[in-house]
Amino acid sequence: MILIMLGEFEYLLITAAAGLGEEAYGAAIREEIEATTGRKCSIGALYTTIDRLETKGLLRTWMGGATPQRGGRAKRMVRVTPKGVRAAKDFYDAVTRVSRGASWVANRTGSAS
Amino acid sequence: MTRANWSLVDVAAQLLECDERETVLGDLLEAGESAWQGLLDVLGLVIRRQATLWKSWRPWLSAFGLALPSSFLLMGFSLSVSQTYQQFTSPRVLNATGLTPGSGFWLLMCNVLLLSAWSWTSGFVVGVVSRRTLWVSAVFSFLPCVFFLARFRVESLSRFCLLLFLLPAIWGVSRGLRIARIKLSSAIVLAVGATGLMILTWGGRSPWISNSALIWPAWYMVATAWKLGREAAPR
Repeated sequence: MILIMLGEFEYLLITAAAGLGEEAYGAAIREEIEATTGRKCSIGALYTTIDRLETKGLLRTWMGGATPQRGGRAKRMVRVTPKGVRAAKDFYDAVTRVSRGASWVANRTGSAS
Repeated sequence: MTRANWSLVDVAAQLLECDERETVLGDLLEAGESAWQGLLDVLGLVIRRQATLWKSWRPWLSAFGLALPSSFLLMGFSLSVSQTYQQFTSPRVLNATGLTPGSGFWLLMCNVLLLSAWSWTSGFVVGVVSRRTLWVSAVFSFLPCVFFLARFRVESLSRFCLLLFLLPAIWGVSRGLRIARIKLSSAIVLAVGATGLMILTWGGRSPWISNSALIWPAWYMVATAWKLGREAAPR
């Protein structure tokens, strides 16, 4: 099986979308990423990454319903595919493994200072 | 946040595809962003989308391999057709050259048909190959036109005779955008017809380099129609 290595932002996006479940769409994912990372997420970065992940088969998107708070405009709904879940898990495992022994990991303070 | 500022965002969003425009404008409204921030967001996405398109060979081929050289060459050929027409309609020239009205008319018709075929096929391929970067190809096509129109100094002819190729070329672009592919049989008829006309018109004194630059779109259409036909055929 070919391992798909995600980028940092790709991982954030997949994780945010997976956490939102049925309510995952562009604006909600963006808000989730900004709230959890404290960093600005541009619409350009968001949608080009969504497209890239969809091309890789890690996400599926479709046009959803409109709401009055969006001025009657449609949402782009997002769902993480099983392949996307696997890729995110692989990324998380790799980060966890490589972080073992790092000074900033819990219970290992002070060794880098 | 003023209505006028949001109109700017709407205008910028026209550069996005329909579904994406809906989504992005909805997201901006939902997030309650300012019009200025919304404009930056939309422009950022537009730039990213355009940059992604230019990773492919297609817009490069269309703009630099087709639109720019073809408009140069077709302007020259438009001028040549206009001069042929002028000679054909001038009894003095007919007498001087020894051409009969019949042979002059035949030559003129061949030239007009060849100009139309070259222009139409070039426009068609530009439309098919780079529909989302068409504006760049259009700019690269119009730049030589503006340059030569400003420097046109043939007194007996109107400067707009340089632009004879534009009408069939624009028609070709619109067909290319609409139908995207042409039947193999039609493509072969067009390519063989244009090549035949080219040989008939230019004969042994053919400027092969410029003619090749103008005839390849017709044969490209044959190649793509053949390829698409093979892919669509049941295995």
